Amino acid sequence: MAEAEWQRLAPLALVFLILKGSQKFVRENLFLFVGAGAGAAFLDWIGPRELLLGLLAVLLIILASAMIYHRRFRFRLEEDAVRVRRGLLVRRELRIRFGRVQNIQLGQPFYFRPFGLVRFSLETPGAAEKEVELPGIPMALAEQMRDRIAGVAEPAPDCEHLEAAADDEIVSIPAESEQLLFAVTSWRLFVHGLSSNQIWLLVGAFVYLFGTFSERALRRLSDTEMYETVSGTAASGPWLWVALVILIAAGLFILSGLLALVRFHGFRLLDRKGRVVGSGGLLDRREQTVRRTKITGLTLRQTALGRLWGAWYLMVRQTTSGANEVDYTRQGFVVPGLSREDMGLVGDLVTGWQVPESFSPISARYRQRYWLFNLLLFLPALIALSTWLGQGHFVVVLVGLALALATLLTHLRYRRWGWSLNGYQLWVRQGLLGHSLEVFEIDRVQQTQITQSPYQRRHDLASLNLVLPQGSVSIPFLPLEEAAALANQALYAAETSMMHRV
Amino acid sequence: MMSGETVFSNRGVDATELPDYRDVALKPVVAAYLPHALLTTGGFWAVVVLIALVAPRLPFVELDLGWWPALALVPAVWFTVLSWMDARRRGWALREHDLIYRSGVIWRKTVVVPFARIQHVETASGPLERWFGLMRVKCFTAGGMMADLTVEGLDEALAQQVRQYLLEQIRDDVEPESPPAGAVTNRTEDDPDHG
Repeated sequence: MAEAEWQRLAPLALVFLILKGSQKFVRENLFLFVGAGAGAAFLDWIGPRELLLGLLAVLLIILASAMIYHRRFRFRLEEDAVRVRRGLLVRRELRIRFGRVQNIQLGQPFYFRPFGLVRFSLETPGAAEKEVELPGIPMALAEQMRDRIAGVAEPAPDCEHLEAAADDEIVSIPAESEQLLFAVTSWRLFVHGLSSNQIWLLVGAFVYLFGTFSERALRRLSDTEMYETVSGTAASGPWLWVALVILIAAGLFILSGLLALVRFHGFRLLDRKGRVVGSGGLLDRREQTVRRTKITGLTLRQTALGRLWGAWYLMVRQTTSGANEVDYTRQGFVVPGLSREDMGLVGDLVTGWQVPESFSPISARYRQRYWLFNLLLFLPALIALSTWLGQGHFVVVLVGLALALATLLTHLRYRRWGWSLNGYQLWVRQGLLGHSLEVFEIDRVQQTQITQSPYQRRHDLASLNLVLPQGSVSIPFLPLEEAAALANQALYAAETSMMHRV
Repeated sequence: MMSGETVFSNRGVDATELPDYRDVALKPVVAAYLPHALLTTGGFWAVVVLIALVAPRLPFVELDLGWWPALALVPAVWFTVLSWMDARRRGWALREHDLIYRSGVIWRKTVVVPFARIQHVETASGPLERWFGLMRVKCFTAGGMMADLTVEGLDEALAQQVRQYLLEQIRDDVEPESPPAGAVTNRTEDDPDHG
């Protein structure tokens, strides 16, 4: 029905485009306002009326460009591809073959919900950003497009034939053969937020805001009597400060937990006719559909804080392009709120994969090498300081403690390294206080790199780096024979596999 | 530690019987690469040393460092010697299914790229390289910016040959990729001149 005729975006898509444009403006000009209160000084300098005028002008430009973009935007569904015509000044026309698509995303911001609209985007390997984004098309159309794209035959000669043939029949039937793989409770989502690394971002933002605003606030306060009371209580004891810090920390943790709740609200992982589908989100409901053959690996992760709660999360890895390494705004396919018992999910996502019972360690020389390095770094400093300041001086004690800590951390890092090969399935474990487990099939290897330092050459060791479509995975300090054997196996697997490039 | 048995693969391939990339005798890079490497590394460091020596002596700089800046000669000599050793050690080889490239003196690195994973091939040469008759071959694979392999130290004819060979290998491997069922694709237009 949607064949061959050019279609336009829904009128409400304009709201999304305007919001996106404003967001982009703020993000790109943030540096003007960041940095030692330069923003505040700037505000004082130009005055409120000029500021308002400037903001109005910016808003007008954003509005106008969003309207032009919206007016010019056209898309069309073809037999085996989707074609998009867009552009503000430069006209662009894109054609994406369905077979190339590795990730289909549907997003529904809360203001789209009453109108049954969604944001539809497609990702292909090698593209720097979401290649096709249709911001604001009817839900029914989006779902129809999703099912057609997800159900298209895989242009690869391997065992996909059967599946593809089966798919052709099912495509016309509405999605009903759904199977729930994983659902998560709100509590576990909250815990995911508590242990997520975004807490450090929040701390950073808080410290920055506190730094810039406390100064101004205090300056204003100092004229009033309030200042007397504040400084009076501050002097009354360090306990108040400790309590304040704990309170702030607790507040930030709760905020982080709530953010995760908003982002992943009601997260579910489904199997829809062999495709993996993840959906969730409170303000912006998102759904991602990935074909199993386009999954190049999985990463299981537990942060240091997550260990306290037994909280894991999983990332579905796909081919990235160079630019993705730089673009951190892109959100990957994350499955949050896993616990130790949910590890079987790995096998549900990719048949045959399972977390190995045990991992082979790397050479103990890894630890020795870094212990030696630490000693060479700290010991001269320690000796020099203790002769200069005396042995009991707190600086000497501090450096001594740092040496002990570095030694311990080296040990922990060494203990965490491990790998396990089962058939073509290679698991690599690493981490310091937390865990990170990568799994992939060695026939996906793009390149093998074996590096030897002089120390490694002396002890017949080598570091192996495997370049994969989703990035590199390395295992340091393997016995040379093992590293070479792994590399040879990976190369053999890649060279005999019938899989096409990406 | 791992024993040979655990490295054994399920799919019936014994690791010890697989072709070993280390068994291949690598070809050294062409002779012209050595002077080129010495000239580029030496030239760069000569400029650094010159700046270090001249800058404190400029009339408007009130700084007396004596002959300390001459210490810049130490890294200059060190890196030039390294590049000399590196040029002597660098090697490459083509196997039936992959390309092997070895480089480095202190950290020695061997990279193997299966032909089946190369996305496209490029040759390039700067003015100085052209002067020495050298050419680089760049192989691009998936997996991010760090994932390209640049084979340096080939002469022009050799580089063209290698490029041609790689392109042929890539094309052969493309064949199993069939067009999506029931769809007419533009494969034939966009592939033959690929690369």
